[in-house]
Amino acid sequence: MPNASKRILVGTAIALLAAAILVFPSLAPNPYILSSGVLVLNYAVLATSWNFVGGFTGYISLGHGALAGLGGYATGLLVVKAGLPSFAALAVAALLVAALAVPLGMAALRVRGASFVIVSIALVLILLLVFQSWASFTGGSRGLVVPRPFDLSRPEHHRVFYYLFAVLLAIAVLAWWLIDRSRFGLGLKSIREDEDKAEALGTPTFAYKLIVFVVSAGFTALAGGLYALWFGDLDPVFQFSILTGSYLVLMALLGGVRNLFGPVAGAILVGTALEYFKVEYGDTPLHLVATGVLLALVVLFMPDGVLPAIGDLLKRLDRTKKSSIREVTAAELAEQRKAAV
Amino acid sequence: MSLATHELRKAFGGVTALDGATVDFHPGKVNALIGPNGSGKTTYFNCVTGMIKPDSGRVTYKDRDLTGKAPHRIARAGLGRTFQLCRTFPRMTALENVLAAVPHGGLRSFRTRSDIERAMSWLTRLGIEHLARSEARDMSWGQQKLLELAGVLMAEPETVLLDEPAGGVNPALLDRIGTLIRELNAEGRTFVIVEHNMDLVMSISDHIVVFDRGRPIAEGPPSVIRSDERVLGAYLGV
Ligand SMILES: Nc1ncnc2c1ncn2[C@@H]1O[C@H](COP(=O)(O)OP(=O)(O)O)[C@@H](O)[C@H]1O
Ligand SMILES: [Mg+2]
Repeated sequence: MPNASKRILVGTAIALLAAAILVFPSLAPNPYILSSGVLVLNYAVLATSWNFVGGFTGYISLGHGALAGLGGYATGLLVVKAGLPSFAALAVAALLVAALAVPLGMAALRVRGASFVIVSIALVLILLLVFQSWASFTGGSRGLVVPRPFDLSRPEHHRVFYYLFAVLLAIAVLAWWLIDRSRFGLGLKSIREDEDKAEALGTPTFAYKLIVFVVSAGFTALAGGLYALWFGDLDPVFQFSILTGSYLVLMALLGGVRNLFGPVAGAILVGTALEYFKVEYGDTPLHLVATGVLLALVVLFMPDGVLPAIGDLLKRLDRTKKSSIREVTAAELAEQRKAAV
Repeated sequence: MSLATHELRKAFGGVTALDGATVDFHPGKVNALIGPNGSGKTTYFNCVTGMIKPDSGRVTYKDRDLTGKAPHRIARAGLGRTFQLCRTFPRMTALENVLAAVPHGGLRSFRTRSDIERAMSWLTRLGIEHLARSEARDMSWGQQKLLELAGVLMAEPETVLLDEPAGGVNPALLDRIGTLIRELNAEGRTFVIVEHNMDLVMSISDHIVVFDRGRPIAEGPPSVIRSDERVLGAYLGV
């Protein structure tokens, strides 16, 4: 495919996606569907944030649910206990979580592969324990009620937060794109491909991993904090859940971790499916089984994700088209040669 | 004085890989490091480039102590290396593979014109410029070896360590690699080459160091090494 027409195709796809996201609230038939839309966008931000680490460096974290939980609790506690205005609390919370990500990353990013996955799971379990048992501060399993920032009707409340999440998503995607085309990003990708080799070429791999982990944690905390302001009620069991982290991994892998919009596409697919199952079957262990099965299927059959698989298919179609063109040219060439003789 | 090590020691469990290796390589020359399989040549490279920490001993480069420094610092001090089993970034294009070796500059685009021109000129010099947009994983073994070399050279190292550059390549490519090493050396780069192909070693080296059981047992120009009894003994088990 020539570069120009490819760019037009990609541009059109992005415009369509943006338009679909923007008009959804007007099309949503009831507040419940609209709130599902908010959840899906929340997932899209989280999966994109996860992809700063997962997509660039190849480190698979199952702990990002906990970073979102920290963002949520930090925002909630700053509003409730410190009396900060909601969105100031959100900003401070994101900075706090990003700062906490420095020691966390320094500990976790020392190990690679499966060991890193296990460390990231441990993070979730430890935080769950802390937030459950420190009830006097966090509300424990009774939950933490976060006051709503606006005095709005329920549908309006959803609508406003839907657009806030859309803005956050746009910022996260833009940041990912900026890194993707930068020298820093190329260094990160070389870590994903072969970390020792990257080091030997002069890339300070540890510093690179740590920086991108902190950026990822910051965005994740923003999404978690915005969720807290929207939902208004936090429970450690849901905030510090390995399931959330697994959903994010599934979404990013499904959509494609090397693709700017992969995690968004994956979040829309998986998020919608999750919401659909919740409506049809309620909260059952089925979620868990379905997540596990889907994760296994994707890893086995589409390790590069759904979007890249479609891309490959298009490329293959394109190649057959090109080869038929080449045949014509070959025939023409033969004719020209004959004419020349 | 250029690259040198003093009493370098490294054991893996009960296996002594380096047993007090004191070596002084000749700056501006093509140095070869030869020795039987398992004599510690790769471990030596790994200790010198910081990929593994020696148990004791010192690594110095241009009078700077590099012992125990992080590999990226050693690379930036001017030491470039290839790996015994060629290593590239498989899902990155050849051009990106080479660009990954430029000193990083934060959020600036990696596709600046001057960097791309320099990367393309290395790919051209190694004869693989037509593969610039192919991913490394789609390239042949020989092409990947050339690509790895292009990446190392992109970082402009003054001293280049090559671990078996001729391993598994066909005779035509072998010739090209030999010529290239001599040319790059004439431009001022120092080489240290681990290699089993004795024809290549004898034809391109100025200075040869022979390892046996983790330490040097002989060194000198090819003419001397060719007839050294200890070398023949180590290699042929006489
Ligand atoms: N990572 C490692 N773990 C355990 N033993 C090793 C390791 N690397 C090398 N060795 C051992 O150290 C010795 C020297 O190996 P090496 O440096 O690869 O030799 P050469 O490159 O000269 O063939 C061998 O006995 C090898 O088995
Ligand atoms: Mg070796």
